[in-house]
Amino acid sequence: MTTITDELAIERRGRAGSVARRRTNFVIFLGPAIVLTVLFFVVPVIIDIAVSFTDLSRSLRISEFTTEQYEKVFRTDRRLSQVIGLTFIYVFGTLAIFNVTFGLILAITTTAIRNVSGSFFRGVWLLPRMSPSVLYILLWLWAVSPTEAGLVNQVLMQAFGLDAPLDLLTSAPIALIIISNGFIGASMGMIIFTAAIRGIPEHLFHAAAVDGAGTLAKVRFITLPALRWPISFVTIYQTLSLLVSFEYILLLTKGGPFYDTTVYALYVYRRAFESGQYGYGAALALFLIVIGVVVALIGWRFFDMERLLQRPRIEVH
Amino acid sequence: MIHWKIGTAALLSAALAAGSAAFLAATPLLAQEAVKLELWSRQDPSGPLRSGNVVKAAERLNKELEAEGSPKRVEVAVRESPAKGFDDDALQLLKVFGIGEGPDIFIAAHEWICAFQEDGFVLKLDDYIAKYPQHFGTIFPSLWSSAKCPDGTYAIPQDAEARMFFYNKKLLREAGYDAAFVDAMPERALSGDLTMDEVLEIAKQVVDKTKAQYGVLHRPNKGPDYIMVFNAYGNDFVDPATGKLLLERDKLAAAFGWFERGVKEKVIPANNTAMEFDALRKEFYTGNAAFWMYGIWDLGSVAFPTYGLPQDEKAFFADWGWITGPAPQKGGAPVSLTHPIVYAIAADTKEPELAVRLLGHASAVDLNTDHAVTTTHLGIKPEQLEEPRYAKAWPLARATELLKITKFLPNNSQFGELNGIIFAGIQGIESGRLSAEQAADFVIEEASATLEDVTVK
Repeated sequence: MTTITDELAIERRGRAGSVARRRTNFVIFLGPAIVLTVLFFVVPVIIDIAVSFTDLSRSLRISEFTTEQYEKVFRTDRRLSQVIGLTFIYVFGTLAIFNVTFGLILAITTTAIRNVSGSFFRGVWLLPRMSPSVLYILLWLWAVSPTEAGLVNQVLMQAFGLDAPLDLLTSAPIALIIISNGFIGASMGMIIFTAAIRGIPEHLFHAAAVDGAGTLAKVRFITLPALRWPISFVTIYQTLSLLVSFEYILLLTKGGPFYDTTVYALYVYRRAFESGQYGYGAALALFLIVIGVVVALIGWRFFDMERLLQRPRIEVH
Repeated sequence: MIHWKIGTAALLSAALAAGSAAFLAATPLLAQEAVKLELWSRQDPSGPLRSGNVVKAAERLNKELEAEGSPKRVEVAVRESPAKGFDDDALQLLKVFGIGEGPDIFIAAHEWICAFQEDGFVLKLDDYIAKYPQHFGTIFPSLWSSAKCPDGTYAIPQDAEARMFFYNKKLLREAGYDAAFVDAMPERALSGDLTMDEVLEIAKQVVDKTKAQYGVLHRPNKGPDYIMVFNAYGNDFVDPATGKLLLERDKLAAAFGWFERGVKEKVIPANNTAMEFDALRKEFYTGNAAFWMYGIWDLGSVAFPTYGLPQDEKAFFADWGWITGPAPQKGGAPVSLTHPIVYAIAADTKEPELAVRLLGHASAVDLNTDHAVTTTHLGIKPEQLEEPRYAKAWPLARATELLKITKFLPNNSQFGELNGIIFAGIQGIESGRLSAEQAADFVIEEASATLEDVTVK
C-alpha cells in the first residue's frame, strides 16, 4: 500500500529522471550545433574584434593596441563609399533579377509543363550550382573572352555580323558579375518555390478553373500568395549569402577593372590579404558582420518570419 | 658434436669480426652531424637554378667541411612556394616568418629585403661578407647597393637583368618606316633622341597600317617593368635625404599621362591588365604587337624555346630588337631598370656561418654562369664575362650595354606595397576609370592612407 507521500516521491523521482533525460537530449541533439556555432561563428567574431583593435600587418605581428583602424574606416578610406554603393547594386540587382524573380519564373514554368520536361529544365538550371566554382568561372572566362575565340563574340560576329570582338570584362563588368552569380542563385529559389508550388492543394486550381480563372489569374491569386513565405526566406537567405560571398567575382574579374567589381566582402579580402593590412581588414569585416546581423533582423521583422517558423496548427476534424 | 661446436664458433667469430669491421668503418659516419638548412624559393621557370645552385653548392661545402675535418654535413631542403610573382611571394614569406615557421635561407626580389630587415627576420651580412672574400669579394659593387638597408647589407646578389622595350622590326617596316630608321632606334633611345611619345606614335602607325592589333603591351600584374616609365618622367619614389617614400604629384601625373595617351590612341589595350601573361607574350612574339615592355631573360625563357625566335644574333636582330626606356622629351635621359634577385639568411638560423658559406659556393662563377646562360640573366661577377659560355650568350653581352643607365627599384620596406597602388592606378587609367591627374591623386591618397611616412610634393 502506497501512501500519498510515496506517490509524491515517485513523481519527483520521475520528474528528476525526466529532467536528466531532457538535459541529455539537449546535449545530444543541440550540443554539436552549439559547439559548431561557437567554434565557427562566435570565436571568429571575437578574434575579428580583437584583431581590429591591433596593428596586425604583413608579418602577422602586433606591436600595439589601437583604434587607428576604425579611424581609417571613417576618415581616410575614400574607396569605401564607392565599394558600398557597388555592393548595394550587386546584391539588389542579383536578388531582384535572378535569385527571386528568375527563380520564381523557373519554378512556375517548370511546374506548369509536363513533369519530365520540368525536371529536365530544373536539372539544367542546377548545373551551375553543381559545378565547381573554378570550372564554372573558367567557362565564363571563355564565354566572355575579349578575343574572337570567346563564345559570345563568336555568336555575335558570326550570327549578327559584329565587326570587332566585344570586351565585356572591361565594358560591362558589373552586369557580368550579376549574371554569373545570378545563374547560380536562381536555382536555389527555383527548388524552394517548386516545392512550395507542389504543396498547393490541386483542388484549388481546379476550383479556380471552374470559376473561369485563366493561367495568369491562377498564378496571381493562388500560386503567389502561397509563396509569400518561401519568397521571404529566399530573399533574406540570399541577401546574406550575396553580402559575404565573393569567390566568383574574384575568379572572374579579380574585383576589377580598377575597383569596379570590388564588392564589400572582396574589398575586405583585398585589403587584408593583397595588401597585408590584417588589422584594417578585420575592422572592415566587423562592419560586414554587423550589417549581416542587421539585415537578418530587419528581414525577420519585415517578412514576419516568426509566423513562418511557428508550430503548425493541426486541423482537428 | 665437436664439429658443430667448431662450426658455430667459426660462424660467431666471423660475425663478430664482420660486425666490428662494419662498426669501425661506420664510426666516422656516425660521428657526422647532419645540418639541415631549409631554402625558401618561388617556383619560377625563369630561374630554376636559383635554388638548384644552392643544392649543388651543398656538395662543394660538404667536401670543404670534410677536408677541414669538421663533423658537420649540410643538407639543403628546398621549400617551394607557388606564388605568381616575387611580390606575392614576399608577402607570403613575411607571414611564414611572422608565425615562426621561416626557412634558414630565402630567395627574394631585392626591393623587399628591407621589409624583412625592418621586422628583424633577416641576418645582417657585412661581417660575413668581409670574412669570405674568396666568395663575395668580386661581386659587382653596384649590385651590392641593391642588397643594402639603411644600416648595412642584408642580402647577397644572385643575378641581375635589364628591362627594356622589345620591338618587332618587321612590323615597323610594314608600317612604312625604313630599315635605317628601325635599326637606329636603339642608338637614338640610348642618346635621348627617341622619346616616350615617339614610341606611342610609331606604335600607332603599326596599329593603323598593319594587321597587328596592339601597339605597346606590358605586364598584366604588379611588377617592376612599368616603373621604368615612371623613372623616365623623374619619379624616384624615395627622398634621398631622408630615405622615406616620396610622391611627386606632377611627375606621377606625367607618367600616368603616357599610359593615358597610349590607351586613347588605341596603342595600349584597355584590358592589358586583365590579359594573361602568356597571352600577352604570344601576341608579341607571334607578330600581333609592335612593342613589349619586359626583360632580357624573356628571350632565353620564352622567346627562343616557345616561340622559336632566331637564336642566332644576326638573325634575331634582323627582325627583332630592343630599346631602353626612352627619354620623356628630346635630349632627356633614357632609362633602364635592373631587378636583382637576392639570397638572404634568416636572423634566427642556427647555423649562420654554414648558411653564408653555402651561399658563397652557390655564388661561384661556374654555377652562377649556368643560371645566367640558361635563363638569360646577367651574372654577378666580372670573372663571368670571361667564361666562354657567357661570352657566347650574346643577349647577355648586348644587355650589359644598358647597365650604363640602369636603375634599381628603391630598397624601401614599403615600396612593394606602393607598387601595388601604382599598378592599380595604371589599371584605372587603362580601363577608362581614371584620368592621369586622378590616378596621381589616387596614388597619393591611397599611399598616404595606408603607408607610413610618405612625403608628398
